[in-house]
Amino acid sequence: MIQRADSGHDNLPTGQGAVPADTPRTIHVRVLRQDAPGEESYWERHAVPYEPNMNVISVLQRIAERARAEDGREVPPVAWDCSCLEEVCGSCTMLVNGRTRMACSALVDRLLEENPSEIELRPMSKFPVVRDLKVDRGRLFRALERVKAWVPVDGSYDHGPGPRISPEEQEEAYPLSECMSCGCCLEACPQYTRIEIVQREDESDVDFARRRAAAYDKAFLGAHAVSQAVLFNSHPTGRMIADERMTALTSAGGIQMCGNAQNCVAVCPKHIPLTRSIARAGRAATMWAIRKLFDR
Amino acid sequence: MPEPEPSFFTRHQFLIYRLFSLSGLVPVGAFLIVHLVTNASVLAGPGTFQSRVDMIHSLGPLLVPIEWAFIFLPMLFHATVGFVIIAGGLPNVGSYPYVGNVRYTLQRATGMIAFAFIIWHVLQLHWMGAPLGGGKFDPHHASSSAAVALQPVGVAILYAIGILSAVFHFANGLWTLGITWGLWTSPGAMRRANWISVAVGILLGAAGLGALGGMRRLDIEQAKVIENRMDDVKRMLEGQAPASEPAVRVPAAAPARPVSAPVSSAGR
Repeated sequence: MIQRADSGHDNLPTGQGAVPADTPRTIHVRVLRQDAPGEESYWERHAVPYEPNMNVISVLQRIAERARAEDGREVPPVAWDCSCLEEVCGSCTMLVNGRTRMACSALVDRLLEENPSEIELRPMSKFPVVRDLKVDRGRLFRALERVKAWVPVDGSYDHGPGPRISPEEQEEAYPLSECMSCGCCLEACPQYTRIEIVQREDESDVDFARRRAAAYDKAFLGAHAVSQAVLFNSHPTGRMIADERMTALTSAGGIQMCGNAQNCVAVCPKHIPLTRSIARAGRAATMWAIRKLFDR
Repeated sequence: MPEPEPSFFTRHQFLIYRLFSLSGLVPVGAFLIVHLVTNASVLAGPGTFQSRVDMIHSLGPLLVPIEWAFIFLPMLFHATVGFVIIAGGLPNVGSYPYVGNVRYTLQRATGMIAFAFIIWHVLQLHWMGAPLGGGKFDPHHASSSAAVALQPVGVAILYAIGILSAVFHFANGLWTLGITWGLWTSPGAMRRANWISVAVGILLGAAGLGALGGMRRLDIEQAKVIENRMDDVKRMLEGQAPASEPAVRVPAAAPARPVSAPVSSAGR
């Protein structure tokens, strides 16, 4: 167990004695790499010097700087996605020590408390790998298109001011609006299984994109899309296309695919009440099905 | 490139999954409750259990269509869709050992155990299993025939596992059904609803294990005497001669009312 005094923003130059003696000098990192889509993946060990207050992104930056594996071989730098570095953009999701989380908010000191000997990094398992830790989360965004996760205000004329939303409704909606499309809920979901469509030799890009979209459209939407559908169906303007969202939610791969494992809500980095959204979508689907059955 | 027409199952997935969810409660779950509580009546004595069984068998020729319409077919439907659902998921309790995830995995495991158990159980006791050497349950000697079939310790252990699997599957399924249909939506409501599931699970589990223990602890010979006596009364009411060598002669009661439509229990 590594015990470190939480020294805040001290810079701790070496030799000042503020770092306990058992602080590791070197962090060992095991990365599951893959050179290109569809190729075999392989493990590679890296070692980076310990610095205080590192996160997984800064570890990856050190690995990229060195571009050498632990055994000294020159290797291409490990590829990964990141942008905001403050857990709001949702782009740096990966499996850190086997668990889905944002690399930017995965602090090395905490990870070393879990496992002092090494840090293990893997790409998300539910999406096709582009390279190393970079994955193609197109299906995640396709699901948002399926449920029309937006307020329809496009048009050639002025719609006038939007309707007022009570503070109570705002408080309900705000947590759902915090979703950053990171995909943690999908990675941890046992009902969300990987779909990887490979382009055929004789297939045009357009045909490939169409075939991939068709495969995605039959598969489970995922908790994020269900929650966004609930968010936009609770918005007074968004509600105008509520029926289209209900159609999407009750189509193949819709809300019925949920198996109530509730991992989504347990791993969500933004603590979004995803299971409440799912249950609300379930209730709305019940009502909608009754209406469809008896009101037509 | 033309996309292949989606299958019937894909086109009606929502409806099929909702019917699957509903069928777990009614009629399959409702039958489980009736079945376990009826069987637990053996704890009040073999006579009580025999009279419950007689009540069920008084349905006569209607019993077979009722069994198929409300028990076997819904169960087969629930199991078929259940296996499709299990095949489509990828349990991951190893990576995410949360309570909900453990329950998700157990729900699937107990579903499969209960399915295998029920097939064995039906073949072993129901008359349909007779050609395969089963069909050991005799509705005229309900307690004693069940007691004989349940005597081996191995059988009793498998029954305990099967009963508890079915009960867990039903009780946990009750909780997830409430989420699926949108009965309880907030985390607080889900927590409170969970107590309903826990209570149902404990009560049904007690009924099921009570029935199993009650059957096994019977004095089989004494149960046979009681059952024979009840059987003779039934036969007399139907105007037939007593079947059993009368160990205990039933005193001639008031003249039996004429039975307008003799109910045949056709050797089941």
